[in-house]
Amino acid sequence: MRVPLGRIGFFALITAIAAILFLSAGTAAFAQGGEPQYFAIRGVKVVPVSGPPIEDATIVVARGVILAVAKDAAIPADAWVIEGKGLTVYPGLLDALTDVGLPPAPAPAASEGGPRRGGESAHGPEDRPNTTPWRNAADEVSLSDKRIETWREAGFTTVISSPKTGFFPGQAAVLDLAGDRAGNLVVKSPVAIPVSIRATGGFGSGFPDSLMGVLGYEHQVWLDTEWLEKAEAAYNKNPKGLARPRYDRASAALADALEDKALVLLSGNSTLDIRRALELTDRWKVNAAIYGGQAGYEVADEIAAKKIPVLVDLKWPEAEKDGDPDDTPSLRTLRFRDRAPSTPAAFTKSGVKFAFYSGATASPKDLLKAVKKSIDAGLTPEAALRALTLSPAEIFGVADRLGSIEKGKIANLVVTDGDLFNEKTKIKFVFVDGRRFEIREPDKPKDPPKGDITGKWKLSYTTPEGAEESTVDLSMATDGTLTGTVTSHRGTATILSGYLSADKFNFVINFLIEQSYADVKFTGTFDGTTLKGNISVQGFSIDFTGVKPTGNSSLAELSSTHQGDAR
Amino acid sequence: MSLRTSILLAAAFAFASISAAAPPAPGTSPVILIQNATILTVSHGTIERGSILIKDGKIAEVGAGIKVPAGAKVIDAAGQFVMPGIIDCHSHIAVEGSINEGSVSVSSIANIAEVLDSEDIDIYRDLAGGVTTANILHGSANSIGGQTIVIKLRWGQPSSKLPFEGALPGIKFALGENPKRSNFSIPGQPKRYPATRMGVEETIRGAFTEARDYKNAWDAYNKKVSAGEKNLLPPRRDLRLEPLVEVLEGKRYVHSHCYREDEILMLLRVAKEFGFKVRTFQHVLEGYKVADELAAAGVGASTFSDWWAYKVEAYDAIPYNAALMTHRGVVVSINSDSAAEATHLNQEAAKSMKFGALTHDEALKLVTLNPAMQLGIDKRVGTIDVGKDADLVIYNHDPLSAYAVAQKTIVDGRVLFDREKDIADRAGLENEKKDLIAKAKKAAEKKPEEKKSDEKKPDDKKPDAAKKPEDKPKPPSGAVHRDSGEEAISAPDGGAL
Amino acid sequence: MKYQIAPKKFFYFLYFLCLLYLPAPVHAQHPPSVYAITHAKITTLAGATIDDGTLLIKDGKIAAVGANVEVPAGAQVIDGKGLQIYPGLFDSVTQMGLSEIGAVSSTVDSSETGSYNPDVVAATAVFPSSEHIPVTRASGITEVLAVPGSGGFDFSGNRGVIDGQASAFSLAGWSMDEMQIKRSVAMVLNWPEIETRTFDFATFSRKEKPFADAKQDYDKQVNQLTDWIDRARHYAQAIGHGGPSDFERDVKLDALAPVVRGQLPLLVFADKARDIRNAIEFCEKQKLKMILAGGSEAYKVKDLLRSKDIPVILRPTLYLPDEEDDPYDRALSQPAELSKSGVKFAIASFDNSFARRLGQNAANAIAHGLSYEEGLKAVTLYPAQIFGLADQIGTLEAGKIANVIVTNGDPLELTTDLKYLFIKGQLTSTDNRHKRLYEKYLNRPKP
Repeated sequence: MRVPLGRIGFFALITAIAAILFLSAGTAAFAQGGEPQYFAIRGVKVVPVSGPPIEDATIVVARGVILAVAKDAAIPADAWVIEGKGLTVYPGLLDALTDVGLPPAPAPAASEGGPRRGGESAHGPEDRPNTTPWRNAADEVSLSDKRIETWREAGFTTVISSPKTGFFPGQAAVLDLAGDRAGNLVVKSPVAIPVSIRATGGFGSGFPDSLMGVLGYEHQVWLDTEWLEKAEAAYNKNPKGLARPRYDRASAALADALEDKALVLLSGNSTLDIRRALELTDRWKVNAAIYGGQAGYEVADEIAAKKIPVLVDLKWPEAEKDGDPDDTPSLRTLRFRDRAPSTPAAFTKSGVKFAFYSGATASPKDLLKAVKKSIDAGLTPEAALRALTLSPAEIFGVADRLGSIEKGKIANLVVTDGDLFNEKTKIKFVFVDGRRFEIREPDKPKDPPKGDITGKWKLSYTTPEGAEESTVDLSMATDGTLTGTVTSHRGTATILSGYLSADKFNFVINFLIEQSYADVKFTGTFDGTTLKGNISVQGFSIDFTGVKPTGNSSLAELSSTHQGDAR
Repeated sequence: MSLRTSILLAAAFAFASISAAAPPAPGTSPVILIQNATILTVSHGTIERGSILIKDGKIAEVGAGIKVPAGAKVIDAAGQFVMPGIIDCHSHIAVEGSINEGSVSVSSIANIAEVLDSEDIDIYRDLAGGVTTANILHGSANSIGGQTIVIKLRWGQPSSKLPFEGALPGIKFALGENPKRSNFSIPGQPKRYPATRMGVEETIRGAFTEARDYKNAWDAYNKKVSAGEKNLLPPRRDLRLEPLVEVLEGKRYVHSHCYREDEILMLLRVAKEFGFKVRTFQHVLEGYKVADELAAAGVGASTFSDWWAYKVEAYDAIPYNAALMTHRGVVVSINSDSAAEATHLNQEAAKSMKFGALTHDEALKLVTLNPAMQLGIDKRVGTIDVGKDADLVIYNHDPLSAYAVAQKTIVDGRVLFDREKDIADRAGLENEKKDLIAKAKKAAEKKPEEKKSDEKKPDDKKPDAAKKPEDKPKPPSGAVHRDSGEEAISAPDGGAL
Repeated sequence: MKYQIAPKKFFYFLYFLCLLYLPAPVHAQHPPSVYAITHAKITTLAGATIDDGTLLIKDGKIAAVGANVEVPAGAQVIDGKGLQIYPGLFDSVTQMGLSEIGAVSSTVDSSETGSYNPDVVAATAVFPSSEHIPVTRASGITEVLAVPGSGGFDFSGNRGVIDGQASAFSLAGWSMDEMQIKRSVAMVLNWPEIETRTFDFATFSRKEKPFADAKQDYDKQVNQLTDWIDRARHYAQAIGHGGPSDFERDVKLDALAPVVRGQLPLLVFADKARDIRNAIEFCEKQKLKMILAGGSEAYKVKDLLRSKDIPVILRPTLYLPDEEDDPYDRALSQPAELSKSGVKFAIASFDNSFARRLGQNAANAIAHGLSYEEGLKAVTLYPAQIFGLADQIGTLEAGKIANVIVTNGDPLELTTDLKYLFIKGQLTSTDNRHKRLYEKYLNRPKP
């Protein structure tokens, strides 16, 4: 039976429009439906990294790839042209070790360390405690991780992401921070096997509970991996009369990853640990890189001699915010804090290849500031940029497709209105795999703030589960912009944006609630000493009040207020 | 390759220096002449107003009058005493992280040599107390604990340079209340085996039975290999059992923490059963009760001077222990088991003159030649003799006195502790600290204001020139290491009380 | 049959019997009560050293001391030629008799449970048969202060805030009644700390707390302490009026009454400079008499201590410094530094099994700049003065308790032997558990 084309056409059109509307109403992970995949940025300053900067150039991007980059590159007629006057284009930045894109590890137990309950303690290396090398980042990418967006907005188009918990947490993959489906993000996998020596839970927590126990355990795992391959080969060749080797998932996963030429990442931040990591590469006979590296200024020549690259943690050591003011750190600690940012410059001098990674940095906006610190301590801006782009690409074996602005490479670009390492510079656009993301400024506070809302606040509210408390640690800039964290029994989240305008405040965090991430918005008024407002999440609204717990009155004050009060 | 080779290779990796490009030792050691001292040689009596010539890290000459070679640094020790550097046979300094792998009854897989912390300030403090060599031991949480190592207190050198070359590695056993967890329990966990002294014995016997079988499997394999067989699969290497095989083969010393007379005899019996020798008993506070058995077995005893009554098994401890055992023919040393005690081992040794009437030289031996013999390093250290390492301590007084203060401590012919210099350097270090604190404060205060006053600054700002690091003898710069959260426990497993 | 014994032989027999009683066992049935030690070098600590003198002991007290003391008839004469006489050492912070084996809680009475126990008294729980007592006195310590809540080498219990009253006693006697010098000498106050790091034995893990929270907890504790003192003050006022009253008595507030009246000093345990300052400020405000115990950072507040006349009982000098950057001899040189600044101090063992190291600790302080006389006084006269017992102990002066040591050398040196020991005027044996075990195994036959 023939259906009238008109009707089909009509329905098809409606469906198409609906689909487009639906798609464009989705999260930012979906490209703006209907945009051309052809872009050109005209008359822009290009910093390719693989070569000297080019003034007044044109970049042409299509199908996710850089088609041309030259002073007078031809612009196709159907390209979306972005005028680049006053702008600069850099390669998209790489965060060399993180877990962005993966769901976070479950919140840590209430007490640090301590025994694991319920008889789960390992009794020896055979129990493979805290060992999950089969986990692969590529398999676990979750598009609902808000950090994909926040990292991208800070200029990072690519991350090397890996599960984080345990001695052998898993395998790292190179992910580009945009895509319709999880699979779109994966650039290469596996690229690395991180190995940690610090995951022990302390005395009483099961094997291993000491650093030397961890090392002994890890030696055994590598030996077993090597032996098991041989044993299985021998057994498969001719099983008659031989004891069947026990299947060990961990060894199998490690063997496979090594076959794929994954780089072993060894933790090493202090001089002791860095030196130990250098020895471990010999003992374990693996290709390795060191992550942490902050004491590198002390041992740069030794690292260079071993030709081992270093991923430098950008969370420079500094005094804790909650520390005891009477506690003076040791001279060693002070020297470390003072000199750690000079490590990248020392690496350049000694010829150590290095890249930067975010480490424990909560907000990606702090990353470039942290890089700037190392520039202030002697690193050239060119070397700094390379450590954020081509060097990590080289270290992880994707320099043939990422890390610089060259014809044919993946179109990962950061477009700014000035020098990348200048605090005032704003990022205008980010291209990931050729998809354009315009970075808009967050809402500016309308009125100057009334009072200073900075401090640690205790919020009290009632959820369907009962009365609760959270701690909000706020820092207010002079223009009223808010940064900080929110901590509850569910964990800690960083404030994505917020401000105090006159006496009205608001701030937003993104939290994993059940299976997915959701925005949690706090709005309210600040009267100078208390907060009052409501929390809005997933359609629910809960009222709260906030007070600052007293902590700093002197003994004299207290004694005087209690004189003569006999309770 | 044979088990032996692979074990030796593993051992070599465990504490060999990392590469040719490692930081060079701080220059060739200078020629030093110590003059006019009362020299307590320990091996051949006391030399009044004597001299010691040090060259290339060794004792080149010892005598009444030695000519000053050209270019030598002269130390005038008039009125002062020189003795061999103190050797602490039971120490837990210079360890990164916990000294105990306490999770399992047999933790021989752990090797303390891999977690040496060359930046531990206690190394310097013990140097200031005259210690030049220390036996770094695993704790006493397990019947069979981790592998151990002898180090020299080479303050200023990286960890790879601390191990005492040629000293046989060790392994720590523990008997009695600590491995059977009598005095504490970990909440939420079932009681760990062993809970009695009977279980302690069986833990050891069980482990050595396994080790013996493991050794047999490897011996059989190696035999086939030498017979020319091809396509053989070696047995799976077990890092927990390999150190025990080394014990069976006499390549690794057993240092066993113990208290009671019966457990001392128990271990001697077990050792005999499996054909190995115990090298030293540690603490061995009831050693005096079985001194003859110890002497007959040729096992060394390393004990405290006068600790007692902190546990039931320490209730019969007596300060005469060292003297009584010495008089019965046991090689006895006095140890510290704590960084604090190690700053005055010379004084602790002196107590055996009062408690048990040891002579001056016998008392000195307790912290010099005897521990050297126990650790198998007496060819190199322990006395002041030509050809031995220049490990020396200069005191302002007879060291066997509460009034003796170490003035200089020399290791491998280098002055690593100098009291005068230490005092002179204090002001400078205080100032450096003040400056760094002020600098950090200033930087922290600058941050919020940058938002207001900032205009685009030119990019060619001059960076701070990195400060020149201090000369070697001071604490090395940088480096903070996190510990895995355990040293708060001193009561339960602590320094193996 | 009748035995015929020649008178001369009989006399020799009697003489022989008498010899068997010298040196006397600890407490003979009818011990001689007059002793004279002659021709000894006597350091009285109350004047110049007497190179060749006599010390006369009578009825438990020192009767006379000097170069020309007449020896009364019937006195037991001990030839002190070549020997030296000193006051017995006074260890003024110990758990002597309150703890036998640290790891065995049933033998430990040093710390009551709960934060406020002003009414408990150490003397009640001192075990006169503790092996620690004979062991310790054999090293020349003749009297101690047993201090509840002061912890020790093997201490793993919890300390409260006010832990009870410290008692002074001599190290010999059949019961506390005989041994006691003074039942209530000082009230123990463990000054609260701002604890950002604690070890939780319940979960066996380390807990960290932000400073603001820790400070809050500390403030709460100080408030609580303030409340207690306030209540005690009002209570003391009320009971001071005499006559029948309408309110109920409270044993704890009873115990605090002498403290708030300024009659019983507070023995305040504090080590960090901030804690010491806060404690001093508190005691001043509350008008309480303060003695500082611990004082690891006393040198940081030495001017304050001197200006307020607050004496310090220092921890043993053979401790490592607290901070990594502290000079390695921080604890060793502190006594000399305090002495130069005019701060009054004593040195104590803070322990029981290590109490016999008291002399060694004083000697180490002397080796690091403290004068010999100050070092000796820090373990004899000064603690006696600090605790208000100088009328009874601390020097060799007529009228004081005869707690006396006779040595063959410097009592602070490691190799000196104690030749004669007098406690409460009795010649006391230096025999103890350690000696007995030594002798037993010395005589073990060779296999």
